[in-house]
Amino acid sequence: MTISLAVPDILVARAQSGDLEALEALYRAFETPVYNLALRVLRAPEDAEDVLQETFLEVVRSIKQYRGEGHLWGWIRQIATSKALMRIRHDRVRETEELHEESAVGAGNVGGAGEMRGTEGMSPGAVPAQIDLERAFERLSETSRAVVWLHDVEGYTHEEIAEQMGKTVSFSKSQLARAHVRLRRMLDEGVAQ
Amino acid sequence: MMHCTMDDVLALAAGEGSAWARQHVAGCPACRAELEALYQRVAQLKALPVRRPARDRWPAVRNAVVAERRRRRERWGVSGLAAAAVLAGLLVFRPFWTKPVDAAELARVKEQSATLEQQLQRYDPNGRVTSGRSAALAAALEDRIAVIDGELAQLGPSQAQARPADLVTLWQRRVELMEQLVSVHVTRAAYVGL
Repeated sequence: MTISLAVPDILVARAQSGDLEALEALYRAFETPVYNLALRVLRAPEDAEDVLQETFLEVVRSIKQYRGEGHLWGWIRQIATSKALMRIRHDRVRETEELHEESAVGAGNVGGAGEMRGTEGMSPGAVPAQIDLERAFERLSETSRAVVWLHDVEGYTHEEIAEQMGKTVSFSKSQLARAHVRLRRMLDEGVAQ
Repeated sequence: MMHCTMDDVLALAAGEGSAWARQHVAGCPACRAELEALYQRVAQLKALPVRRPARDRWPAVRNAVVAERRRRRERWGVSGLAAAAVLAGLLVFRPFWTKPVDAAELARVKEQSATLEQQLQRYDPNGRVTSGRSAALAAALEDRIAVIDGELAQLGPSQAQARPADLVTLWQRRVELMEQLVSVHVTRAAYVGL
C-alpha cells in the first residue's frame, strides 16, 4: 500500500467537532484503503462499497472517541475490518462457498496444513511468473481471504485476528496455513488461470 | 524423510519456528524452497494493485449524518421545550428570585425562538432539496443549536439554582442560531459566518 495515510491533527480536531468538510476530507483520505481492504476480503465490489459506507458512518459517529493514540488509519482500519468480518459472519449464503472450499482443501488432508509432512520429493512451488496470485487469492473462502489479508498484508497478529473474528488463535493460525497450502496448490497447478 | 508442514514454514517465517524446523530447513532444499515461496507469495500479495471504489459513497454518508443530526436536534428540541416549560413555571411561582427585567427578557427570547421554530416547520426543510453547501451549513447550525438545547435540558432539575441572566443568554444564543438556520433554509445561500 503506497498511499499516504497521514492527516494533519487540525483536520482530525475539526472532524471531531462535527465539521462536515473535515469529515469529508477524512473520507477522501481513507476511502481507498478501506475499500481495498474490504474488497480483498469480500471480493464483491458492492459489498466492499457497503462496508466503506458503514465504516465511515461509524467513523463520523465515533470520531470523538479517537484519542490520538496510534495512527488514525489503525483506528479506521479496525472499524473497517470489523464491518467486513461482520458481513462475513452474517452472510449465510457464503457459508456454502466456504464449506465447498473446505471440502476441496480437506480432501486427503485432514489436518489441512499437514499434507507436506512425510511426502517425499515434494514440489514446493517456486511461484511461476505467469500464475495469477490475485486470482488464486480470490478463490479462497472469505474467512481464509480475511485471515491471509489481515495477517500477511495488513500486519495483524493472530491474537488480533482471533479477537476480531471471535475465534481462537489456533483457528487463525490453521486458517492461514490452510490458505497458503491452497494458494500454493493452485499456483503450482495453474488452477487460477 | 519428514518435511516441514505449512504451520512449520509459517512459524519459521514469523521467526517462531521450532528448533527441529530450523535445523531441518537448514539442511533441506525442498523446505527452504517452500519457505522462499511463502516469502514471495506474501510479497506479491502486498504488491497487488490498490483497488478504488467505482462510486462515491460520501454523499450517502453525508446524507445519513445530516439526517441523524436533524433527528437529534428534534429530540433535544423537545427536551429543550420541556426545560423551558419548567423554567417558565419557576419564573411564575418564584418571582422573588427573579429580577423582573430578566423574566420579561427570557419570555421575549423564548417567544422569538418558538416563532422561528414555527417558521422553520412551515418551510419544511426535510421535504426540500438543498445543495451540499447549504446542507453542511444547516447541519453545523443544527449541531450548535443541539448543544444549547442540551445545556438547557441539563439545567432541568437544577434550574432553581440557575441565574435567569444565564438562561437569557442561552436562549438569546439559540435565537441567533435559529435565525441563521432559517436564513440558510430560506435563502439557501445566505452567508452566516461559519
